[in-house]
Amino acid sequence: MKTDSKLARGALEPSSGARGLLWPGIIMVGIITQLPFLYTIYLSLHDWNLMRPDLGVTFAGLSNFGQILSEPAFWEVLKNTFFLTVFCLLLCLAAGMGLALLLNRDFFGKGIIRTLFVSPFFIMPAVSGIVWKTVILNPNFGFSAYITGKLGLPAIDWLGKYPLETIIIVVAWQWIPFFMLVLLAGLQSVSPDLMEASMLDGANRFQQFFNVTIPHLLRYIEVALLLGLIFIMQTFGEIYVTTSGGPGYSSTNLPFYLYRLGFQSWDVGGASALGVLIVIIMTIFMTILFKIMRKTFGGELS
Amino acid sequence: MKRTLPLLITIATYALAFLYFSPVLWLLVTGFKTEGEAIIVPPSILFEPTLENLRLVWDAGASAFIGHSAIVSMTSTVLALILGVPAAYALAMLKVKKADDVLFWFISTKMLPAVGVIIPIYLVLKELGLLDSLIALVLLYTAMNVPLVVWMMRSFFKDIPYETIEAGRVDGATGLQGFFKITLPLVRPGIISTALLCFVFAWNEFFFGVSLTSTNAATMPVFMSSYMTQQGLFWAKMSSVATLAVLPALVLGWFTQRQLVRGLTMGAVKG
Repeated sequence: MKTDSKLARGALEPSSGARGLLWPGIIMVGIITQLPFLYTIYLSLHDWNLMRPDLGVTFAGLSNFGQILSEPAFWEVLKNTFFLTVFCLLLCLAAGMGLALLLNRDFFGKGIIRTLFVSPFFIMPAVSGIVWKTVILNPNFGFSAYITGKLGLPAIDWLGKYPLETIIIVVAWQWIPFFMLVLLAGLQSVSPDLMEASMLDGANRFQQFFNVTIPHLLRYIEVALLLGLIFIMQTFGEIYVTTSGGPGYSSTNLPFYLYRLGFQSWDVGGASALGVLIVIIMTIFMTILFKIMRKTFGGELS
Repeated sequence: MKRTLPLLITIATYALAFLYFSPVLWLLVTGFKTEGEAIIVPPSILFEPTLENLRLVWDAGASAFIGHSAIVSMTSTVLALILGVPAAYALAMLKVKKADDVLFWFISTKMLPAVGVIIPIYLVLKELGLLDSLIALVLLYTAMNVPLVVWMMRSFFKDIPYETIEAGRVDGATGLQGFFKITLPLVRPGIISTALLCFVFAWNEFFFGVSLTSTNAATMPVFMSSYMTQQGLFWAKMSSVATLAVLPALVLGWFTQRQLVRGLTMGAVKG
């Protein structure tokens, strides 16, 4: 007999102790990750530069926001963040799906192969940036220089010429495994009965993939995209060690821009205003993505 | 034809996997080469391994930063479990008012980017004299991982068959005793994977580390980034440091693979 777990379990244990179990965690997370944001909002309305203690802290109204929005660099950075996030997500989705399909078969050594594919996800962003920068992309000694040399082509200074595109590749290398794993979990949960039924109905492999598998995968795609969005928008380490956001602002994204404002210019007010803007922008991004997914696939996503 | 196609796909998969993993492999191998050999392209496969680089970087201070990383990651993981597991238990097994709201609040904290809170955190830590301290990182990483623990463990608690708990209850194991004797052992594999994942995330964290620490509490990723700007041309030495930096997270990651999907999607999807 299958019981509704919530009701049955609620009746099982006295619930008076539940609060005592919940609150320590809530308080800890709230104080450290949520409360400071209120202070960020407060600081964003003030002028305060740590390098100029003589000027003190003065109320500035919305001028910090005005200043950021009138800065051409901000719009370039916003555009970079958008490109980085969208192209990374698309790349991750396409490649992740491909790899998931390859791994959703029976073959010898499947576990090891999966482990190899998953590994880049565990490499700390700082190190993956460094490895790509030196080993693969270094225009003098790197592997890409070796290949272009063999082909008789001039070596390409990837990070100098295509900084943002290169960072997209490095970040994708790290996040494709995540998409692969989530989609693989999705593929493996397709009910075999359903597949058999569609086969009996005369569907070929492609029809089966698009009419049975994909609709089933939508939930998984949605989860992967939303979480990927949250993390990829916050890309920082890869940029820090490869290009430091340069040349100019050409590979700076929003988090790195905030780091430059806060920890290189020590502009507390400006960096805080930017922090508030980033939270607003991320919320908008996420709401849009969520809305698009729901609208396009409304029927399949329950 | 019908037999060769699958074989070809399998071989292609092997090749692709090797290619995808090769930057990591290069890293792990180059650390054991001499500097001269390290910059040969294509990389030499047969070489006499040397521990010289490892010794050099260890003496250059890598040991201290590994220590920082280990202390911060382990302590924050234990604290996150202590705070998160009871909350997850309450949300999964007890009648809690607005349980769904609490749960979504936990996941929503993950959506507030670190850059939205870094400035106040920096100022407060400065005021408290806690900049560049291990305590600061422990607190931050704990708070960062509690939502993960709550979501992951809740899904593990939910997986326990109702009958099992009921049976324990009939045997007289109730309340705390029931929790420690029956419930907790059942979710032990879940706790282990959750802990491993928390450890990996704390170990690899870079943004808070680089913004809030310098010499006294710098973790491995922070040390790595400064090491590269100074010694980036010495590939063999750099690879040794990098190997020390990535190996713990990589190996633990391999072990927790099976539960990875559940962890990464905060329990939304089971792998």
